Amino acid sequence: MDLLEPTRRAFALLLAGDPRLLEAIWLSLWVSVAAIALVALPSVSLGFLLAKKRFPGRRAAVVLVQALLSFPTVVIGLILYLLLSRRGPFGSFGLLFTPTAIMIGYMVIAFPILVVFTISAVQGADPRVYETARALGAGRLRASLTTLWEVRFGILAAVVNGFGRAISEVGMAIMVGGNIEGLTRNIPTAIALETTKGEFAQGIALGLVLMVVALGVNVLLAVLQGAGGLR
Amino acid sequence: MSAPLLELCGLRKSFGERILLDIDRLAIEQGGAYVLVGANGCGKTTLMRIIAGLEPAQRGSMEFRGERSTQPWYPEHLRREIVYVHQHPYLFHTSLRHNLEYGLKCRALAPDERARRVEEALEWAGLRDRAATPPARLSGGEKQRAALARARALAPELLLLDEPTSNLDREGRAQTLALLAQLRDGRRTVIVACHDQEVINLVGYARLRLEDGGIALQSG
Repeated sequence: MDLLEPTRRAFALLLAGDPRLLEAIWLSLWVSVAAIALVALPSVSLGFLLAKKRFPGRRAAVVLVQALLSFPTVVIGLILYLLLSRRGPFGSFGLLFTPTAIMIGYMVIAFPILVVFTISAVQGADPRVYETARALGAGRLRASLTTLWEVRFGILAAVVNGFGRAISEVGMAIMVGGNIEGLTRNIPTAIALETTKGEFAQGIALGLVLMVVALGVNVLLAVLQGAGGLR
Repeated sequence: MSAPLLELCGLRKSFGERILLDIDRLAIEQGGAYVLVGANGCGKTTLMRIIAGLEPAQRGSMEFRGERSTQPWYPEHLRREIVYVHQHPYLFHTSLRHNLEYGLKCRALAPDERARRVEEALEWAGLRDRAATPPARLSGGEKQRAALARARALAPELLLLDEPTSNLDREGRAQTLALLAQLRDGRRTVIVACHDQEVINLVGYARLRLEDGGIALQSG
């Protein structure tokens, strides 16, 4: 297969600002960012609690969250589909085949990633952080926030990984989003569709955007780590 | 005779079968300076951590400025009056100035007052030119002095220092000893746990010996 010609056309589409491409890119970005923004606070909080607190059932909760990491996303899509479909318990909200449905799916997928990364970051923190904060007069909440701040790059890595996982998800997005052009077609679902149609230029163009986004986010993380490189 | 600043009664701390602390009574006078001595593992650090509310005892009571509390409960507001400095102090990953400001922010002091206290503490510890430096770039002696300055800036009623001269080179040790001598000013109450003979011999520091779980005041 000749790759040069579709690649040349892919760049031409990007440079021309093809509206179909831009729609898919915009949808991918805002839905992913919104999903991560919404899920970050509860999942980081839960990760912190699971890392720091000892309570009955904690171990089982950690195992459950870790198991969710390897849960097939297509099954998550299926469960969401059943929940959101017209006959499902949340069918009356009319969310199926909307960006909101994809956003909910992204949140479910990113949730265990953020929780597990946060557990790892907090457990890797120096145990003197929390204690020092308390010894200096901080209340429990302030000492907890100080601990999170001390491991902020680990938390940022969690957010970046969650975002990367969300924006590249295809199976779930097709199932609950329906891949409707102009409404729920995002970068990965568009790539999947255009490739099956033999429209490689569209697929390559969107793939390039996805890679640039992934690279950009990770470069940003590295820059932030470097700027805060006080360790 | 005035009431002691701190009084511990019937304090017991054990780990499994082993009773580490079994203190009938310990009174710490307001403005006093004490060196807490004893063999390795005798419970010096544990005792200081209990007083600072960083770990509970199984039983016993603590009276601080007339306010009585029963272990394992610890009044939250005492954390603003009793400050503990770890043997290996942890400095947050920010500048030295922000480290010194941390506890002052916890006390909701006005920015002007915070700045004044930070400057004074930096001056006291001889670290004024290191104010913007991140802790990773400080020497061991500077970190120890920074931790002392951070605690001193809070003007606590009771300052607990755990082995402040351990793991320091000769110069760092000499500088820390000089600061310890200055801390004893008759207003601030200080307890220093250590093995360092030079600290034990510091002028004006009374000696508390911890042995077989009990504690005794040896000299004034």
